[in-house]
Amino acid sequence: MKKIIELKNITKAFDGETVLNNISLDIYDNEFLTLLGPSGCGKTTLLRIISGFVQPDDGEIVFMGEDITDVPPHKRNVNTVFQKYALFPHLNVYENVAFPLREKKVPKDEIDKKVKEMLKLVMLSGFEKRNVTSLSGGQQQRVAIARALINHPKVLLLDEPLSALDLKLRKDMQQELKNIQKSTGITFVFVTHDQEEALSMSDTIVVMSEGVIQQIGTPVDIYNEPENAFVADFIGESNIIDGVMIKDGEARFSGQTFPCLDKGFAPKEPVDIVIRPEDVDIVPVEKGMLEGIVTSVTFMGVHYEIIVDVKGFKWMIQTTDFVDVDEHIGIFLEPDAIHVMKKSKYSGMFGDYSSFSDELEQLSVGGNEE
Amino acid sequence: MKKTASKIYTGIIFAFLFAPIIILLIFSFNAGKSLSVFSGFSLRWYKELLNDANTLEALKNSLILAFSATTIAVVLGTMASVGINKLRSRWYRTTIDTVTNIPMTNPDIITGISLMLMFVFVGRLFGASTSLNFLTMLIAHVTFCLPYVILQVLPKLQQMDKSLAEAAMDLGCPPLRAFFKVELPEIMPGIITGAIMAFTMSLDDFVISYFTSGNGFQTLPIRIYGMTKKTVTPKMYALATIIFFVTLSLLLINNIVDNEDSQKLKEARRIQKGEKPEGDYHPGKRNAALALAGVIVVVLCVGAFSGSKGSKELNVYNWGEYISDGSEGSFDTIKEFEKWYEETYGEKIVVNYDTFASNEDMYNKISSGAVSYDIIIPSDYMIARMEKENMLLPLDFENIPNYQYIDDDFKGLYYDPDNQYTVPYTYGVVGVIYDANVVDKADIGDWDLLWNGKYANKIVQFNNSRDAFGTAMYKLGIDVNTTDTALWEKAHEEMIAQRPLVYSYVMDEIFNIMQSGEASIGAYYAGDYFTMMEDQADNVDLQFYYPEHTNMFIDAMCIPSCAQNKELAEIFINYMLSEEPAVANAEYTYYASPNSIVRENETYIEDMGEDVVEILYPEFDNFADEYNKYAYRTLDTEMLAYLNKLWETVKVN
Repeated sequence: MKKIIELKNITKAFDGETVLNNISLDIYDNEFLTLLGPSGCGKTTLLRIISGFVQPDDGEIVFMGEDITDVPPHKRNVNTVFQKYALFPHLNVYENVAFPLREKKVPKDEIDKKVKEMLKLVMLSGFEKRNVTSLSGGQQQRVAIARALINHPKVLLLDEPLSALDLKLRKDMQQELKNIQKSTGITFVFVTHDQEEALSMSDTIVVMSEGVIQQIGTPVDIYNEPENAFVADFIGESNIIDGVMIKDGEARFSGQTFPCLDKGFAPKEPVDIVIRPEDVDIVPVEKGMLEGIVTSVTFMGVHYEIIVDVKGFKWMIQTTDFVDVDEHIGIFLEPDAIHVMKKSKYSGMFGDYSSFSDELEQLSVGGNEE
Repeated sequence: MKKTASKIYTGIIFAFLFAPIIILLIFSFNAGKSLSVFSGFSLRWYKELLNDANTLEALKNSLILAFSATTIAVVLGTMASVGINKLRSRWYRTTIDTVTNIPMTNPDIITGISLMLMFVFVGRLFGASTSLNFLTMLIAHVTFCLPYVILQVLPKLQQMDKSLAEAAMDLGCPPLRAFFKVELPEIMPGIITGAIMAFTMSLDDFVISYFTSGNGFQTLPIRIYGMTKKTVTPKMYALATIIFFVTLSLLLINNIVDNEDSQKLKEARRIQKGEKPEGDYHPGKRNAALALAGVIVVVLCVGAFSGSKGSKELNVYNWGEYISDGSEGSFDTIKEFEKWYEETYGEKIVVNYDTFASNEDMYNKISSGAVSYDIIIPSDYMIARMEKENMLLPLDFENIPNYQYIDDDFKGLYYDPDNQYTVPYTYGVVGVIYDANVVDKADIGDWDLLWNGKYANKIVQFNNSRDAFGTAMYKLGIDVNTTDTALWEKAHEEMIAQRPLVYSYVMDEIFNIMQSGEASIGAYYAGDYFTMMEDQADNVDLQFYYPEHTNMFIDAMCIPSCAQNKELAEIFINYMLSEEPAVANAEYTYYASPNSIVRENETYIEDMGEDVVEILYPEFDNFADEYNKYAYRTLDTEMLAYLNKLWETVKVN
């Protein structure tokens, strides 16, 4: 695959505070790439460096083999869909979409043809004369996409474009965006803090935290093989337990030794063990590899979410079988349910559900990035 | 109950706010001149306004100034707002915000004085002879208009989605173009509101303009202020009415624009909430309103900018309403002089005619060194003072052959004993005006009438220390220019004795009070007596007599030392003494003329009426003697302070 953008050792600080720390990233042709991370991780800044609105303190941006670090935004062959759409209120739908072409002094009939084409692509035919302020959020979103795509940029940058939409509309738009990306073949760089969105849409996910890339990979890789405790926790739910790798294929935690599939660690190396809540089997106490007491049960529709106290460490388990609070249960783990990670600076910060509450979880994820 | 009360309250507030304007509006259509009697609908004053070249010139100046100041303020203000909006530091932003608002919150008078000081200082630094001119006034107006623009534009910028400009750049617009194409249309309502505010502020400003205006460029408010020598004529009501309606329409337009803006916002919110948009939203209304505003401003300005300037200039500084100006079909002195000069000398000349409201105003303006006039027409005592301070140039009478027509009575007077500096223009004598329907014939003849207990509460006295004490001193036979405080004390006692009889202490209010019959006895100038008589109420019969000794004034034409064109000024003075202008001015001002051509002119006597002439020109055995002995002279500062202290006790107790 062809590289479209290469970011090389990008560093950026605002008022002495490092926002991006030595970031290097390759973006490939025809790829749907997502920058994923919590508020303040630097993903939007990275996007703005690509679009040219922010100058990196250090590093290089190469666009199709050409250094564009010092090229101003209006001369870059990338376009952006802004978080709040940034439609021009004094222009109608047609003129908003035609804006980039008018700037390029494209002949009138050609503009007309292209605008109609674009509006058809985003399913807004017939809305030409409408005032953009009189459109719904989803419609405004589509106008913004049409406007950004009409120049056929090599890369489309999307800065949390769906965050202002309600859930139902967001799901529809996710699908639509993915379709547009496929049909146009344009590389999308998509910024979001919503891991579900990232998993369902992306070809590649770049997980960021504190200005550093934590992991780059396909959604499946990122979910199944998280690099460290931060990624494991940020993508989906995880129980992260302190452990030791005895030898290849054998990990020890919670006072037991378990067979696993991971290898390549030094003997007796301290590691983080990740176990996804849905991978845990509940069995009668006598058949279990571990034993625990259920401390809370929440009905989630498809499954129950239960918190189990295993020797003082609280596990989250998702199960379709009903168990009651205070019930003693046995826990059984298949070898492929166990994922072993190297220790990182995030070890011990995540993966313990002792203080778990749904409300808190929502608060910490729900905050939008500026 | 509560509702009615609040309605009444609102009614009262509105009445207070709008009653004056409504009265002004009504009286601008009055056929007569009176302030109290509406004698029929007529467009007379509007017609006269259109014929008043000086007022139209001032209006034109005001419009040129307001338009230029607004344009500059809008450009600078918008640029400043963009800059302030981009500042990252909050502290810095607040500081700049506060600093730019200072000209708005600062009292006008301080802004005015400080600007004048600066202009004069900088002017001197560069060796300019006159530092105040159109440019300085423009700078001053831009200074106080700027905050109004920023105040309107900055919030619009802050409300605007910051990514709009980025979006434009992202789509291929260079940064400056992005501002014009995307941000400017967004903040346009703010710019228009700011421009309208700046325009009205500039049009309306008096105080700052007063301090920063130079010669040859007077704005309308300054000109109206200068008219207070005589009462303001109803054509000013006509002008005020027109200005009021222009301002009103600009405001209405502004409201339409604003309203539409907020409607648009509401509409957008409603849609975002998933509601249906309302049907009655017409974006066209706003455009129509904007177009109308544009038309108004353009029409005003085209009118203002038409008309051209010649090369040679003569700057004249005179009292307001003190020259025949072409109104009511009269002789237009300035225009005629310009015409005459071109015919005689084959050269174009432009006379810049400015007006002042008092000798002291004139003196301050000239002595600031910021203006230069070629001719001034001050009063006698001020001439004496200026002469002493070397502020006058000796005249070359070779250039003023018409000086021969000046009556010998008016030569060798105390303010110019060697006839070097002055050519007298008008003179007047103070007499007693009384209502013959109230006052007994037997009681008239001298100053005692003002102390006559029979007419308690029917007597008005001057509301100014010098004139008021003067009446008492003439009555007692005391020298009005004495420095003996014992004599002043005696006059003071007389004033206290008179107080219970006094209806009111007045200056220009005397016109209305005497005309309506509220009071029946008062002292004033003969010329003003005729003005009063013209509009007196039906049951009032105003008469006039001179007591034995009384005050006299002479206003004379002089050339100040700042004059740029002395010879031209002398030619002008000579012209003023020639028959046609001299007669016209005497008829216009209603004051006595020291010019024998006027006295002997038959049309003048016919126009004025013999009885009027008789009163205007009282007989004196020896005018010069009488004048030198009895006319007020300038008291020194110490005496003035003393006099004012005495006066306080008369007024306060």
